[in-house]
Amino acid sequence: MMALLVARNTFREVVRDRVLMGLVIGGLVLLLVTRLASPLAMGEGLRLTVDLGLSSISWLGLLVVLTVGTALVSKEIDRKTIFNLLSRPLPRPLYLIGKWLGLTVALATVAAILGTALWLMLVVLGHAAYAGSIAQAVFLASLELAVINSLAVMFSALSTPLLSALYTLGFFLGGQWCADLRHLASHCPGSLRTLLEGAANVMPNLPLFNMRTLAASGELTTWTHLAIASVYALLYCGCVLSLASAAFESRDFK
Amino acid sequence: MTPEPTNEKTTSPAPHSLTAPDSERPIAGHPRSGRSGATGRVPAVSIVGLTKNYRHPWTRKISRGLEPLDLEVHRGEVFGYLGPNGAGKTTTLKILTGLLKPTAGTAMILGEPIERVSSRARIGFLPEQPYFYDSLTGVEYLEFVARLSGMPGREATKAAREWLSKVGLGDRERQVLRKYSKGMLQRLGLAAAMVHGPELLILDEPMSGLDPFGRRDVRDLILEQRERGTTVLFSSHILPDVEALCDRVAILLEGRLERVATVGDLIDGSAPVVEVRVEGGRVFEIPAKLAPVVERSDTGGSTGLRLREPERLQELLAWLLAERIAVHGVTPVRPSLEQLFMAAAEKSAFHAQGVRRPA
Repeated sequence: MMALLVARNTFREVVRDRVLMGLVIGGLVLLLVTRLASPLAMGEGLRLTVDLGLSSISWLGLLVVLTVGTALVSKEIDRKTIFNLLSRPLPRPLYLIGKWLGLTVALATVAAILGTALWLMLVVLGHAAYAGSIAQAVFLASLELAVINSLAVMFSALSTPLLSALYTLGFFLGGQWCADLRHLASHCPGSLRTLLEGAANVMPNLPLFNMRTLAASGELTTWTHLAIASVYALLYCGCVLSLASAAFESRDFK
Repeated sequence: MTPEPTNEKTTSPAPHSLTAPDSERPIAGHPRSGRSGATGRVPAVSIVGLTKNYRHPWTRKISRGLEPLDLEVHRGEVFGYLGPNGAGKTTTLKILTGLLKPTAGTAMILGEPIERVSSRARIGFLPEQPYFYDSLTGVEYLEFVARLSGMPGREATKAAREWLSKVGLGDRERQVLRKYSKGMLQRLGLAAAMVHGPELLILDEPMSGLDPFGRRDVRDLILEQRERGTTVLFSSHILPDVEALCDRVAILLEGRLERVATVGDLIDGSAPVVEVRVEGGRVFEIPAKLAPVVERSDTGGSTGLRLREPERLQELLAWLLAERIAVHGVTPVRPSLEQLFMAAAEKSAFHAQGVRRPA
């Protein structure tokens, strides 16, 4: 209940932020631009529109995480608004979960708005059948953003916004290339191999949330894939937020 | 999360003051002990050996924020926590509210150890220079914090509206907080500390940044809370306010508790002084036998002679009559709390010369 109160407040705060509104408008403009650029794709215009449209949702979501998420907790500490919350019977882990949940719901809302805009554009173009694949892709993109957001909240609770943004970006890139990292590890000797494998295991497996290529062809993924991705996201976020809570619990607020 | 119940014995609810909002009520699971609770066995705040050290993140050097502190605040009293900047006042208050972790020692709030999150359900805290969420309205903010303190939704909304009106911001219900002035934010912070009807109010510099009218309003609010049986622990630099409001005061200097006493005891226990006002513009020299105990000050048309040993008043008056100097008035003067505080601070600084505080 406490976490939901904090989440509601965070959602309200983020939604009223001009940065988010600007990014949503930017996303809508980007969708139109992808449509305008589709004639250059030599017959693959529809595929390009869907692919770029879904990519823009992920990239804009990442931008929100890097600008808002990485300052979510540190801004509260710097501006001392946290004093008014943690001096109440609010356990610190619930505070962190609430902050994460509030921004995650805001990100999912942005993804849903942009996904709906993309689908409406396709309806106008006579391709309403893409609805299912776009909905699945948007759902997976939201899970991916939830995972990246959990990392951002953890770093934000322990570091400055700039360093948090750098660490989060590092984990995002590492997560995108974790399969390559594993492949590289298999060709390395001894301890370097162990180190790279360890790093690949710590990084989030972000390709699991990517079905853009499939959606661009109007195809659906399996329910098993969606279930595995959901459980993976839940577990990964749970582990990251648990670590963040453990470190945050002993922190002093001067 | 439901606050954990305590074993503490509580008495009947406090009679509400005429101006207290109807929704000002004890939060779930924690019946309020009223003014009659002042005699309760469990103190509002009980501190034993509370210590705080800070370690520099790079140099690892340790500095002491609070020397081992023993302190008790009784139920229903207004307790002033005085000290210059850096004395350790805010450190103490932040430890009590869970924002800082103590290095050593224990503290209980209304019978519950401060380590328990539920100990914070019955307190209201106003931080020094409070900050808020810019994009929320006053009502939204108060409702949010009331619910965090355990108030159910509808009651929280009602209490938020009532408290906003009570602190004079009722006409700004829908205005976002970024448009509030500094004084308005301070009043909102007070409302946030009281909206859930706490039994213990912890206020860090509540008069800070307020104009004289705002200070008067805060004084009235504190007095009203005292009437309701709420214990108030507040730190302040504005000593006349402390003198007017507090039952007892603690003076903290350089992280060390110097003294705890009632304001009356502090002032009564100090050396009295007599001021004799005589006609101004006269050239005279105080005789050598009186000179060490008389301090002269010339202001406008009169001269003040401050006698530090009142038992020698007859001697001084006899000399003035003999010199034909007109006496306009004789006034016994008690030092103000401010003068006593400054004297204690100077004494402490004198003792500290050459002796750095231990790390």
